[in-house]
Amino acid sequence: MTQLFEGVGIALASLRASKVRAALTILGVAIGVMVVMVIGSMITGINRGVEDIFNQLGPRTFFVFRFFQAGIQVSDGSDEMSPWRRNPPLTVEEADRIAQLPTIHRVVVDEGAGREVEHGNRKLESVSIRGRGARWAEVSGDIMPGRSFTNLEYAASSRVVVVNEKLASEMFGLLDPIGKWIKISGVPFEVIGVYIPPPDIFGEGNRPEAVIPHSAFSKYIPHWRGWMDFLVTPKENTTVQAAIEDVTAVMRSMRELRPAEENNFAIVTQDKLLDSWNQVTGMFFLVMIALSSVGLMVGGVGVVAIMMISVTERTREIGVRKALGAKRREILWQFLVEAATLTAVGGAIGMLLGGGISFIVANATPLPAKVPMFSVVAALGMSILTGVAFGLYPAARAARLDPVEALRYE
Amino acid sequence: MTRDGSLIRVSGLTREYRMGAETVHALRGVDMEIYRNEYVAIMGPSGSGKSTLMNIIGCLDTCTVGEYWLNGVEVSGVGDDELARIRNQEIGFVFQTFNLLPRATALHNVELPLIYAGVSAKIRRRCAAQALERVGLADRMQHRPNELSGGQRQRVAIARGLVNEPSILLADEPTGNLDSTTSAEIMGVFDGLHQQGQTVVMVTHERDIAARARRVITLLDGRVHSDTVREAA
Repeated sequence: MTQLFEGVGIALASLRASKVRAALTILGVAIGVMVVMVIGSMITGINRGVEDIFNQLGPRTFFVFRFFQAGIQVSDGSDEMSPWRRNPPLTVEEADRIAQLPTIHRVVVDEGAGREVEHGNRKLESVSIRGRGARWAEVSGDIMPGRSFTNLEYAASSRVVVVNEKLASEMFGLLDPIGKWIKISGVPFEVIGVYIPPPDIFGEGNRPEAVIPHSAFSKYIPHWRGWMDFLVTPKENTTVQAAIEDVTAVMRSMRELRPAEENNFAIVTQDKLLDSWNQVTGMFFLVMIALSSVGLMVGGVGVVAIMMISVTERTREIGVRKALGAKRREILWQFLVEAATLTAVGGAIGMLLGGGISFIVANATPLPAKVPMFSVVAALGMSILTGVAFGLYPAARAARLDPVEALRYE
Repeated sequence: MTRDGSLIRVSGLTREYRMGAETVHALRGVDMEIYRNEYVAIMGPSGSGKSTLMNIIGCLDTCTVGEYWLNGVEVSGVGDDELARIRNQEIGFVFQTFNLLPRATALHNVELPLIYAGVSAKIRRRCAAQALERVGLADRMQHRPNELSGGQRQRVAIARGLVNEPSILLADEPTGNLDSTTSAEIMGVFDGLHQQGQTVVMVTHERDIAARARRVITLLDGRVHSDTVREAA
């Protein structure tokens, strides 16, 4: 233990003695650790954001998609691999039938397009236009000021629009947007409300967006057909499983599927969505770990170099220590501790930088980046391990030195 | 031939080195015995083998052929770690070039052998401080070597050699890097230690330094040339 402290002390002293050399050596380690920290914090942040959104939807809400593919897949053009060819688009009729089921509390259809929006001489391109069911506001976002559209307005395909805060401020600045008219794709719509979007992970909350009745969307807004989704919320008194079974049965009967045929639609629960999400972030994480280990490797090679120089420079010291009774193991240990201290300092610097970047990201972007505890431990562990692994060879050389030769070394 | 109090006994000590294709015979069969509380100077011209003998006695090197008994224990043929332990416990080194760690304080330099002996920090500090007091450096404990004069550095080295209470204090040209006044001062320290009962073995090529010892062994061509004991002054 005393030797451990002594080793750390010696290491810090020799770091101070050759600052530039040490700084260059630990740069690689610092960068490697920094990358691990930043990526770790971002993934944690993204995951928290995803969970926030799901929490807002309510844990029981599930989705009906035209198809669902988890992770990343490559199409070979066959029908099996091209579900958009096999699966017909979802229809409003299907949504209406699902809504009538006794186990279903609410169905919200959602379809989108990017269109230009005009007000007076102001014009914005590629604004996200969402056509949604009348009850959409119950599942996403608060409307303040104003209101959402009514069932009546929905049924009448009324040209009314709820804009998000971003679009309101870009179009009207500080003016009250309620009652103003905007042109979406050249068609005039009346602004009836402003909604505050849920905290969004990819900064979509910062993009202008407008929500209109889906009926009006189908009627007035040119869009790529076939990409409607349903958000389905079961009744309180039923299980999600029972609701899913009912929805499946209705969909199958409407699509006249025979018992042997597979579903040509996809029902996806939040758990499943979260799973596939985690699969993607897990891949991302692995790639980043691989990249940062390159940094650590580069740092490790630097450690070998600086430790070889250190051993050569201190050959005489090694001889003296041996003369005074240091065993091989103790010399080995001393240099390993020195190497590990070197990389641990690099790791600590990398963690400070990484933590700083995460802090900036968390405050300057909507991404709630947070440095997870495990990445602090992992980063420090990795950097110390790098030091030990790459310090082993120089340290073994030091330990093997012959005391007589070492004492004679000039 | 064995007398009571024999500390070092070597017989038939031979040491050969390979230098490329040639074999250098550094020692060609040395027999000698050194007793407790002796003050011995080993002399000889360069190449006579005195450094090699010194390294073997100091357990830094091992002999090719022969026997070496230190304090009643056969040393020839033990492993590296055991040699390190013997160096730590039985031998105190004093080098010509002091060989202090430049970045460490005097106190820390003296503590080093105790660290390798596994002594706890508290006791270590006390023993090191006492050793420095013994060589008259009580007021220089927190100084680094570059803040000390040559004589003071050698005193630190002597304190480091003494701190483990070794059987032998082995000094290799201890005054070789010092001016004559400082040399006399350092030799005074050795005299004092010898009077306190410390066994001292010193390698030197200076006659006046050797003259302070009670016994002078002269080596020539890897063999003992002469071995004379002087009457106490």
